[in-house]
Amino acid sequence: MTLDRRRFLQLTALGVIGSVAETACAPEKASALAHPRLVEMLGAERVRQLGERYRAATPAENSAEKLRDAIARGGGLHLFRASVDDQINDDFSNGRTVVVDGWILSVTEARQAALFSLSPA
Amino acid sequence: MHTDARTLPNGTVLQADLCIVGAGASGITIAREFNNSPVKVLLLEGGGFDFDPKMQELYRGDIVGLPYFPLQAAALHYFGGTTNHWAGWCSTYEPIDFTKREWVPHSGWPITRADLDPYYAVATTIVDLKSNKWDALDWKEGDADRVPLLRDSKLMWTKMWQFSPPTRFGVKFRDEIVKSPNVHLYTNANVVEVEANESVNTVRSVRIRTFDGKEYHARAKRFVLACHTIQNARLLLASNAQAKAGLGNDNDLVGRFFMEHFEMPCGELALTDPRATKTKLYEFVGLGSTPRGELATTPAAQREYRILHGTASVEAGNYGDPVKSTFQALDSGMVDRLRRWADSGRKGPPPFAAEFAALAPKDKGPPRFYHLTTRQEQAPNPDSRVTLSTEKDALGVPRARLDWRVTPLDKHSMRTFYQLLGREMGRTNTGRVQMKDWLMSDDMSWPSFISGGWHHMGTLRMSTDPKEGVTDSNCRVHGISNLYIGGAAVYPTAGAVNPTLTLVALSLRLADHLKRSG
Repeated sequence: MTLDRRRFLQLTALGVIGSVAETACAPEKASALAHPRLVEMLGAERVRQLGERYRAATPAENSAEKLRDAIARGGGLHLFRASVDDQINDDFSNGRTVVVDGWILSVTEARQAALFSLSPA
Repeated sequence: MHTDARTLPNGTVLQADLCIVGAGASGITIAREFNNSPVKVLLLEGGGFDFDPKMQELYRGDIVGLPYFPLQAAALHYFGGTTNHWAGWCSTYEPIDFTKREWVPHSGWPITRADLDPYYAVATTIVDLKSNKWDALDWKEGDADRVPLLRDSKLMWTKMWQFSPPTRFGVKFRDEIVKSPNVHLYTNANVVEVEANESVNTVRSVRIRTFDGKEYHARAKRFVLACHTIQNARLLLASNAQAKAGLGNDNDLVGRFFMEHFEMPCGELALTDPRATKTKLYEFVGLGSTPRGELATTPAAQREYRILHGTASVEAGNYGDPVKSTFQALDSGMVDRLRRWADSGRKGPPPFAAEFAALAPKDKGPPRFYHLTTRQEQAPNPDSRVTLSTEKDALGVPRARLDWRVTPLDKHSMRTFYQLLGREMGRTNTGRVQMKDWLMSDDMSWPSFISGGWHHMGTLRMSTDPKEGVTDSNCRVHGISNLYIGGAAVYPTAGAVNPTLTLVALSLRLADHLKRSG
């Protein structure tokens, strides 16, 4: 597949802007990562349990570093996404869901719960 | 006119133009359509005007296959039929319910929703509904909080229910029937056999028997069996003097495709923001009261995901409440207590009030957790069937034997429903959905509380092809020129909602056909 000059420039521009947006949002995103909005809905204890179950079912993501990587990778090509919440909404819109203890969760928020379960109670 | 059949001399022969067997919602609806007309109608009711345990016992039958509740508790055998204890929940079948869905084996009605539309309009008045409007936006009732959830969804929508008071046909229409100049009601007139001519292509008469051993015959130009889904099939199977397999059963279809609606707790909903999310449209206020919505799969979702038609009620509660299925909540003991409560003038709270109160949300402020209870059609299944028992009832008729069976598509559809609902609740950030454990296991494992809604459908399904159905598009039994079926026995598929409103509409349509073809 060839990439014409105009398309190349578009992608490059998006890439630059996307990187800037990611960088600018990084502290906010890190904070959001540590405070899943699921906690408000389901309570900290239940979210911790969900996180543990996710990690048990997904050994390849059983560390904070791997989970953060997976969440970042989950952002994928969506360069303008401002927050984890946007990423979660995007997961639901595109059917990227997992079932953990019966709860239908976005992949990102399941990983977020897993990350949460690794933090001190 | 009314006569207690027990007072007739043995050997009496009754004569009419039209003989309707069974005075429940269907039989009474059809009879009323002929009231004050030149057509002489016999309306034969097995029971009397009141509940009688001895009469009810005639409905007892064998249960094999999946667990089911006692047949003598599920349908009532006296004037007014099962409307004497129905709860009055009404909604229309959707156009997709009538279509041939290639992912649902044996689906497709020989009529469309448009064929029933004019009759739905009349049926709503018969069962005393507020109107024939069914769009959620028609039912705001001046309350800005009565708005549907997931309004932009392509997968889910809000299907509306209205609540009949509930209309007791035996009470509401008793005087009209008894005073009719041309409809003659006979109570305590149990039909024990449908008698055909030698060629078995025309019914000549029905044979009636009473507990004291007397027998009568009723002759008519045309006959409608409007007993009840299970009893209609039983009567045809037991009418085997001329046709060994029973009347209308040349293709071994009578009794097959028995269907129920699953009514089971399947999940929980946790709202993201209970203060901002309006759920008032989904509240159950009471029978005969404000309509409410249930979340349902759109036709597009059913097609795309190849699933059956289902809905879920959304009822505020507490996470982990022991929510019961219909069969659990309304076991036969509870039904007896409810009947006694209703018979005594509904004094005091209903028998289930304390149990319901215990499930009330304990949250201060708007509740966060909601119980999701499924209401779903089951896929038509030829192996789910009514046959005859080896045991006979007090009138000498073989009892019914019910073998209720389900298919993998039933559970697959239920699970997919919750996955889609969870996805849409998440996409809109309305909340998160949890499925019950049992829903995630394999498609043929069902919990002990598997439940229907005491909605009996199928057994004499409609089809234009006699090899696919017992009755044609006018509810006439294939191969028998003057025998018709009234009631939910003719449903080829069950739809997602309770059958009674559609049953009344279909009975009105049958009455129209009988008038036109008379």
